[in-house]
Amino acid sequence: MSKDIESQMRAALRPVAPREEFSQKLLTGIALERPELKPRRLGAGRRQPLAWWLTASLAASLVLAVGVHQRLQQQRAQQSGLEARREVMEALRMTSQKLNLAYEAVKSQSTSLTDEHSGA
Amino acid sequence: MNDGATDILDEQLEKARCGERSALTLLVQRHQRSVYSLALRMLGTRDLAEDLTQEVFMQMSGNLRTIESNRHLGFWLRQVTTNRAIDQLRRRARVQMRPLEEEAHLFSAEENSDPLLQRHLQALLAELSPPARAVVLLRYQEDLDPVEIARTLEMPVNTVKSHLKRSLESMREKTSGARPARCEDNST
Amino acid sequence: MRKFTVPLFFVLLAPALACAAPSPKLIFPSFSGLAQKATESVTITLDPALLGLAAKFLDGNDPQDAATKEVLKGLQGIYVRSYSFDKDSAYQQADIEAVRSQLAAPGWNRLVETRSRKTHADVDIYIMLDNNQAIGLALIASEPRQFTIVNIVGAIDLDKLHKLEGQFGVPKLDIDSKSAAKPRN
Repeated sequence: MSKDIESQMRAALRPVAPREEFSQKLLTGIALERPELKPRRLGAGRRQPLAWWLTASLAASLVLAVGVHQRLQQQRAQQSGLEARREVMEALRMTSQKLNLAYEAVKSQSTSLTDEHSGA
Repeated sequence: MNDGATDILDEQLEKARCGERSALTLLVQRHQRSVYSLALRMLGTRDLAEDLTQEVFMQMSGNLRTIESNRHLGFWLRQVTTNRAIDQLRRRARVQMRPLEEEAHLFSAEENSDPLLQRHLQALLAELSPPARAVVLLRYQEDLDPVEIARTLEMPVNTVKSHLKRSLESMREKTSGARPARCEDNST
Repeated sequence: MRKFTVPLFFVLLAPALACAAPSPKLIFPSFSGLAQKATESVTITLDPALLGLAAKFLDGNDPQDAATKEVLKGLQGIYVRSYSFDKDSAYQQADIEAVRSQLAAPGWNRLVETRSRKTHADVDIYIMLDNNQAIGLALIASEPRQFTIVNIVGAIDLDKLHKLEGQFGVPKLDIDSKSAAKPRN
């Protein structure tokens, strides 16, 4: 009996797919977040003089630092936006739950009034 | 999963770490059902589940260099998803797993699916504390054993076993009262 | 001369004070005592900036997001305080009185008052009108182990709120714009 319940629970809890629109949005969001990098080609190109290499490294580091900073800002903005969206949904859901309580009360009142009238 | 498939996914992980978008897409596609389903069954509604799924994969995208293998990725995703869901549930008001029409997609729609069992399961998940809910999902959705669940949730193994035992008992109580007796059960 | 200046100041100020428009934004007490007793608490404070930010992350192609976006248009704020307890009567009605007393002020009209013996839940819904337009909504739901206060500020479109039916399980409330224009208390 236990095995039967467990296997039924497993069957019921098989992973379900998200909506197609969401999947697309997810992949687009991740692609925007992580720009394509060209694959490194090992061994290509001739050696540059050391001084030039140092200058190039410094410039690259600076660009990278600015890029990382901008990416972090974008990530933070994105996370804030998602958090705000979640809070809006949560607030509206709580509002609707409580509206539903009022609705149920009104409905059961009008049902009992109808019963009283029909009884009379 | 066979060794061949594991090797391919490990290779994709390596490529994703190097910035190949198609490799990252493949990894997301491979794991999104699991992450989304965990989020959905933990948080109870589609919009919260989608938000959490997006956050988890965004975080994954930024942390690939710390992930050693596809197996580790699976562990990491399950851990981050359940932990974040538990945190959200603790911070928020109790999420009522109301049977809204669209929320019928909490469970897999198989041909022989039992809607009554699904309703009992939904009631069970709703009444469990967030950590207990995570234990049940990791066991029956992700097919992890208690030791793996304990590692994922950083919880003692005995606590995991205790949650599973109580959940199964609760499920048994719910189903035994509602189901009509079946002849085939009596014959065993 | 000085003796008459101060009272005169208040006499002149009084009409201005009396005419000051009531605000649809409620002032919440800190509820710190209750928060310590509560097993779960929810504090949501969404000002215009946060609402604008959230709206950017709503997908217009998704029916639920699109309906939500419509509701958010014209809103200036959404504020929620909710506390859950592990036993009945852990909070007193006096704890919520600081909020209820604001709803007794001119400007607020009680739209719905329900008392349910079945669920033991009391729900009061108030609306503030300006030129027959809803500019504020307040909801107080008092249950044995939980109370929730929701305050929505801004141009609430009751028709759009209707359209959330089925999205969050919002039921049909029969609170169309015309009937809402008539104050009920």
